[in-house]
Amino acid sequence: MSLLRRPGMLWLALPATAVLLFTYVAPMFGLARMSFNRTLPGGAMQPDWTLATYAEMAADSFNLELTLNSIQLSFTATTFALLLAYPVSLFLFRTESRFRSLLAIIAIGPLLVNGVVRVFGWIAVLGDRGLVNSALLALGLVSEPVRLIYNWTGVTIGLTESLLPYMVLALLAGFGRLDREVEAAAMSLGARPWRVFVRVTLPLSLPAIVLGWLICFILAMSAFVTPKLLGGGRVFVLATQVFEEAVDTVNWPLAAALSVYMLVLLLLFLGAYGALTRRVER
Amino acid sequence: MKPTGPVLRLVVALVYGFILIPIVIVLAVSFSADNYIVFPPSGWSLRWYGTLLATPTLFEAFRVSVMLAALVTVLALACGMPAAFLIARHRFRGRDALFGFFTAPLLLPTLVLALALLLAFHPWGLAATVPGLVLAHLTVTLPFVIRILTTAFANLTPDVEDAAATLGARPFTVFRRVTLPLVVPGLIAATALAFLLSFDETVISLFISGPRLQTLPVAVYHYVERRTDPAIAALSALMITGSIAIVVLVERMVGLMRAVGR
Amino acid sequence: MSHVRLDALSKVYGSNAPAVDDLTLTVERGEFLALLGPSGCGKTTTLRMIAGLVPPTGGTITVGGADVTSLPPYRRNMGLVFQNYALFPHMSVADNIAFGLEMRNLPRSEQTSRIAEALAMVRLEGYEKRRPRELSGGQQQRVALARALVIRPDVLLLDECLSNLDAKLREQMRIEIREIQRRLGITAIFVTHDQVEALTMCDRVALMDRGRLAQVGTPEDVYERPANRFVANFVGRINVMRGEANGASLAVAGAPVAVANAPRTQGTVDVMVRPHRMTIRPEDVAAAAGENRVSGTIGRIVYIGDVIQVAVDTPAGPLVAERTTTGPDWHTLAVGQRVAVAWSAADTLVFPPEAR
Ligand SMILES: Nc1ncnc2c1ncn2[C@@H]1O[C@H](COP(=O)(O)OP(=O)(O)OP(=O)(O)O)[C@@H](O)[C@H]1O
Ligand SMILES: [Mg+2]
Repeated sequence: MSLLRRPGMLWLALPATAVLLFTYVAPMFGLARMSFNRTLPGGAMQPDWTLATYAEMAADSFNLELTLNSIQLSFTATTFALLLAYPVSLFLFRTESRFRSLLAIIAIGPLLVNGVVRVFGWIAVLGDRGLVNSALLALGLVSEPVRLIYNWTGVTIGLTESLLPYMVLALLAGFGRLDREVEAAAMSLGARPWRVFVRVTLPLSLPAIVLGWLICFILAMSAFVTPKLLGGGRVFVLATQVFEEAVDTVNWPLAAALSVYMLVLLLLFLGAYGALTRRVER
Repeated sequence: MKPTGPVLRLVVALVYGFILIPIVIVLAVSFSADNYIVFPPSGWSLRWYGTLLATPTLFEAFRVSVMLAALVTVLALACGMPAAFLIARHRFRGRDALFGFFTAPLLLPTLVLALALLLAFHPWGLAATVPGLVLAHLTVTLPFVIRILTTAFANLTPDVEDAAATLGARPFTVFRRVTLPLVVPGLIAATALAFLLSFDETVISLFISGPRLQTLPVAVYHYVERRTDPAIAALSALMITGSIAIVVLVERMVGLMRAVGR
Repeated sequence: MSHVRLDALSKVYGSNAPAVDDLTLTVERGEFLALLGPSGCGKTTTLRMIAGLVPPTGGTITVGGADVTSLPPYRRNMGLVFQNYALFPHMSVADNIAFGLEMRNLPRSEQTSRIAEALAMVRLEGYEKRRPRELSGGQQQRVALARALVIRPDVLLLDECLSNLDAKLREQMRIEIREIQRRLGITAIFVTHDQVEALTMCDRVALMDRGRLAQVGTPEDVYERPANRFVANFVGRINVMRGEANGASLAVAGAPVAVANAPRTQGTVDVMVRPHRMTIRPEDVAAAAGENRVSGTIGRIVYIGDVIQVAVDTPAGPLVAERTTTGPDWHTLAVGQRVAVAWSAADTLVFPPEAR
């Protein structure tokens, strides 16, 4: 159509561009700028161009601990999420069930339920008088409740669940290359189902796994609600620290510097991961 | 060859259990008669739904969230639809770059984005205001809408529009009679997801809202932070029901998974 | 006066080589013209320029004496049938067909009768309420045809619309389309890369080669009297021998060859003969007057049912002769046998080799 294909229609992008310039380009520059400001001893902030905040951040060994906590938590939760999401995605990809779309929606369900609500649900399941402990006590397996929330266990469980839908979506998107005909071919050549899985299905879905793992790891590194609420103030990661400095302590230069540090960390990780997968693929 | 074996089905059933358990338990606990979160509860009642009705702060927060989500949805569609149309249907230099620019906020950690918004909006006097919250929510909903609608517009074969043109339809008629009806599934999905995304948005709202202007997730967050009683379960049950209603509606109308582009 | 006239029509996409280059062509009223050529030669581009979907970068398009070059598609009244049919997926069969009538603001009653008429014409009565995805490929194709015809277009444009159908259905649709076109007396341009389709369906064939017009003529013209090497090669099978021209005389593999219309050229040329114009003779029988012949050994015999193909290795290179299997004597031919391949001066085509 002549009119719709005519050049000079770039104005169509104007509203969206204006909004996003205002809501993320300017703020992100502002964030970077803020990290070079100075915090006066009283806590007041003074515009400046100094690396003092970064120096302070580097000198505090607590930040190293936070970094390691974040990485460990993210690594564990992402791996669990992958192990749980893979069979589900494979099932959804293959099933010819009438309920396929219903099952797919349930699988990405956590995405549609508010994060705070889900945390609350885990409190009801894992709390001292929740489902799990009630069952364990009733069965006489334990004499007093096992602590399952307000510690790393609870946070890992909650985070795993919140990553699941993203992992499922990433895997499903990547399964496009998986062809039932190829699996059928392998089987016709005498491979039993398990061998088909190891020799054909898994290698073909490797790119999807890599992508899903990466997306979820990044999401996990910056997850905040779950560690904060399910951690009950006993679980410290980079994300909770940023919130702490920004909202409770109101040390904005430090919060900004921590954010920049987190971004750089993620970029480094992305780079390393990319290099690693390229080497593996070769 | 059967598409799924028994082992796979069993594992999948277990994972579904894991996904559904917290949601089901919340629904059950909301009918508890106890003062604490106990499962199984010692008795059943509707008293916590009553408590909910008697808590004006939660009510106010709910009102704020609905209004906010509606505003954000309308604005995201109004800004996102032309942009998506441009990107999907026109060839011009820098098209990929523009798409990258539009969707980059989806790659940024929400926490970092939230802090950046707080730092920027505070001096502009936008923190803890309705316009500020609307703009802040647009940061994530607009890119999302643009991505869904770009897929919807791109999936349309231009041949169909050309056919309409050769049959005598003028460009605007082509858009109204052919292009638009064919992207309706994408539009419905984008509307529903934009609404849910804004309604459920927690982290950015936590940074931007203040004591006098709270969204529902922020109010719930502060509530859970302080204490946990079945009132929150009742509220959660209502929120879950709302989400399910929207999802079922969209699924009925267009098929959610198809509209998301999977 | 011709109905459709393309004058020096050109299209250059960006900075690429021209997709259509200086194309001049006329189509008579009521004529069925095939636009034939290999993939990427610019057939679709030409058709879309006629329909107004692609603006030409040069030249003019005239329909019924009026210059339509700069008219938008919705003012051209052309019926275009797309290769993938391009049916509106969100509309029923009846609504698809009604679309063009609605755009013309026809009264409801007339719309209804014309839709019924169109459906009857493509033999799809009773399918009004179906959605396109509930139809087979052949049925979709017929809906597309009905949708294009119902607006009573000035020109019917068909873009490789049979290529998605199976062989049987394709043959049937060829006959149906031709029959409808004849009955309505509508001018039609049919794009195809299938030479059989072009030769069997159309009044005239326009051959395109890399955006340029290679030859226009009746099917017999392009088959029997190809204007150049490209046409000779593209339409039908043909044997190619290397020859040496010297004024009026011509030699292949050292032996003189008689040609009906010898081109007055000098040096190396391509000598071409169609396989079914070559006959296999016993080697020891003398040549008839004016007959060209070359001896060789049968290398391969391929049985294709009504004909056999005999490949003979000769000093002029491998040659393929075709003969019918009507008589029983073809059984006497055998691989390894010495034979002569003979053809007449009238069947010998000579072209200067392709300039590279
Ligand atoms: N929109 C376009 N932009 C750039 N180049 C194009 C475009 N459309 C076609 N071309 C080029 O123009 C040339 C002619 O294309 P056209 O589609 O007309 O070929 P065709 O003869 O219809 O081929 P086919 O038989 O494969 O359909 C090709 O080289 C093609 O790559
Ligand atoms: Mg073509």
